[in-house]
Amino acid sequence: MNRPYKILVVDDEPDLEPLMLQRMRRHIRAGRYSFVFARNGLEALDRLNEDGDIDMVLSDINMPQMDGLTLLEQIPKVDPNIRSVIISAYGDMKNIRTAMNRGAFDFVTKPVDFKDLQITIERTLAHMMEWREALSYRDKLVSIQNELEVASRIQQSILPSEFPDDLRYQVYGNMEPARDVGGDFFDIMLLDEGQIGLAIADVSDKGVPAALFMMSCRTLLKGVAIGLTEPGAVLGEVNDLLHEDNETMLFVTVLYAVYNPATGELTYASGGHDPPLLIRSDGSVSLLPLTDGIALGVVPELEYKQHSITLGPGDTVVLYTDGVTEAQNTDGSAFEVDGLHQIFAGSSAYLKAREGTDLVFEKVREFMGEASQFDDITCLTLHRDN
Amino acid sequence: MDVTSQRTGGALIVSVEGRVDGANARKFQKAVESVIDDDDGAVILDMENLSYISSAGLRSILLIAKGLQKRNSQFAVCSLQDAIGEVFRIVGFDKIVTIHSSQGEAVSAMGS
Repeated sequence: MNRPYKILVVDDEPDLEPLMLQRMRRHIRAGRYSFVFARNGLEALDRLNEDGDIDMVLSDINMPQMDGLTLLEQIPKVDPNIRSVIISAYGDMKNIRTAMNRGAFDFVTKPVDFKDLQITIERTLAHMMEWREALSYRDKLVSIQNELEVASRIQQSILPSEFPDDLRYQVYGNMEPARDVGGDFFDIMLLDEGQIGLAIADVSDKGVPAALFMMSCRTLLKGVAIGLTEPGAVLGEVNDLLHEDNETMLFVTVLYAVYNPATGELTYASGGHDPPLLIRSDGSVSLLPLTDGIALGVVPELEYKQHSITLGPGDTVVLYTDGVTEAQNTDGSAFEVDGLHQIFAGSSAYLKAREGTDLVFEKVREFMGEASQFDDITCLTLHRDN
Repeated sequence: MDVTSQRTGGALIVSVEGRVDGANARKFQKAVESVIDDDDGAVILDMENLSYISSAGLRSILLIAKGLQKRNSQFAVCSLQDAIGEVFRIVGFDKIVTIHSSQGEAVSAMGS
């Protein structure tokens, strides 16, 4: 602090003022302390209100109009961060106890030993500075927390909330974030010739850097997908763009698929992402083969292979992130791919996209019980209508 | 999560035990870096007793590998449990990080 600490001295004895200024002159000259004076509690309150920059109060107890003990009760109403020290008669334990109970930080006794007083002032000021620092850290934390909440809301708001309305197929996705910002997203893009692009992605790690990485990944993917039709080429392009200047080694696993509603053909490429689940209309469940791609953002100039399947009427494909398969219950065991299989094994051809996604969330939550959620949980379901 | 190290032949073996997830990935990375910084040779990360690794943990391994690459030290991982091997395979990191099935295999590969 550059300005001197401002100390308000409250005493009805007029002698104290010149004495204090004289005994503390070195500290005043050095710019360490400055003093203001009041003759009773009322005057002191006026000074506190008018000056607004008083750091500590040094007050006598017995004074006309308003005594020191009453003043002690009033000070926090002006500023709860001001610290007070009481000057009392030697051995007046009753008043000293009352003063301490009313929030005095310390006391000195009359006749005032100025050397002792100076130590007491320093101790009080040191305590006050620590307190102020703690308060400012708390304020900073609160503001960071607020920013994180904003980031988390942005993350939610970029997810599609409307889904294509088409008689031939349905798509429905949902994402439930864990406590920290960052992580998963999904996207649905309307492409040329009536095709649709479906993306699901999981950024490594959490926090603001991961959230920013996620936002740029999502934007790049959207931009590239509109220009390129082959999923493998899309991932290759996004991978190169993400890799530039990626010193942080953040990476993202992406499954990107293009669906043609006219033919039922689904072509997908995986950049290190979990394989989708295929539920045929007869109730048989299988994992689609991986295309051996590496997560995006780590190694440049990769070629991403793609794979095609044809969805028959009533077939369903479920895309998910590892927040689903790695969800843990209270015993510490994971939901696993088996859990997903079990949800859908034997389910009928009437399973719709929204039902599929909702069912995954319902079953995962049921499995987790009271256990906490460590990762974002995301699921995107495509269903070809009969 | 626990990190220990020992020197065997021409390589520093760093063993990691337990779980590496979002909560301790940075601690894991710092622990590994602090032991490999005292050394300038090849490093083998032994995962025999690693039971779980999240994507944040995988990222830490990439950062460790990147640091070693900068100082021209060889790096490999070994003895992955099935589930961990599966994670490496899905994310595609089996293609960018050298994986050996045992510590012995890793040490002899590094020596050559």
